[in-house]
Amino acid sequence: MLLGGSAALAWPRQVPQRHVVEIKGMAYHPAVIRVGPGDTITWVNRDLVPHTATARKDPAWTTESLAQGQEGALVAPLAGELHYYCALHPVMRGRLIVAARPSSWRQQ
Amino acid sequence: MYLLDSRHTMLVLLAMGAASTLSAQTPDLSDAEVAHVAVTANSIDIDLGKLAESRARAAEVRQFAATMITDHGAVNRQAAALAARLGVTPADNAVSRSLLDGAATARTGIEELRGRAFDRAYITREVAYHQAVLDALDGLLIPTTTNEELRKLLTDVRPAIAAHLQHAKQLAGALGAGR
Repeated sequence: MLLGGSAALAWPRQVPQRHVVEIKGMAYHPAVIRVGPGDTITWVNRDLVPHTATARKDPAWTTESLAQGQEGALVAPLAGELHYYCALHPVMRGRLIVAARPSSWRQQ
Repeated sequence: MYLLDSRHTMLVLLAMGAASTLSAQTPDLSDAEVAHVAVTANSIDIDLGKLAESRARAAEVRQFAATMITDHGAVNRQAAALAARLGVTPADNAVSRSLLDGAATARTGIEELRGRAFDRAYITREVAYHQAVLDALDGLLIPTTTNEELRKLLTDVRPAIAAHLQHAKQLAGALGAGR
């Protein structure tokens, strides 16, 4: 992703990035992902059966039920670790580690 | 390891006995027969899931049943589409009949129960059933399938069956089932 210097100046906050997590073989790939606050994470379901990505401690933070080939996106919370799972298959687990990116990233 | 009551143990042995007997005597189930076994196995779990979805007491058990209906339905739609594309008509066979007989016996024992006893019996059955299906996939269905697309479908389904088994085991533990 291109982050222009002028854009970084115009928005002191970090420009949100996009991340993709694939769901395949009843697992999230990657299962653990490092993101910045406000980043968007998109889950793409490659399995035959439907899945969700749902926060353990906040059931409202959830994708819709995603059928094969469908995708759903959520925005990362401000900071900290977020454990999520599939509400349809609770044995499937994933984790977001939300942390501000180093300031050098903003100046690129 | 979960202790199963005699009825469930019998079912698993029946299903696996038929499978192993068949594989010993006739190493190759035809692809049409494999397809029939797969569709039958899914349909059995959908039917029991419908009973459990309406009757289970615990919300987690009702959710599990709903997932079984959805997932096994999705697999069967794929199987039907594949069979149609390949021009294969699923063929009845001894393994399918054994699965159906076992399902009927299991259902008779479960549907007379209510409340927590129902939940335990249903989940105990689901643990045994998914283990039996997993064993049948590995020991019979995947190895004997010659069509690559059908074998890929069975292989793609395997992780879902394994996840269902793990999910059922967790619920069994929470319910104190099989103890």
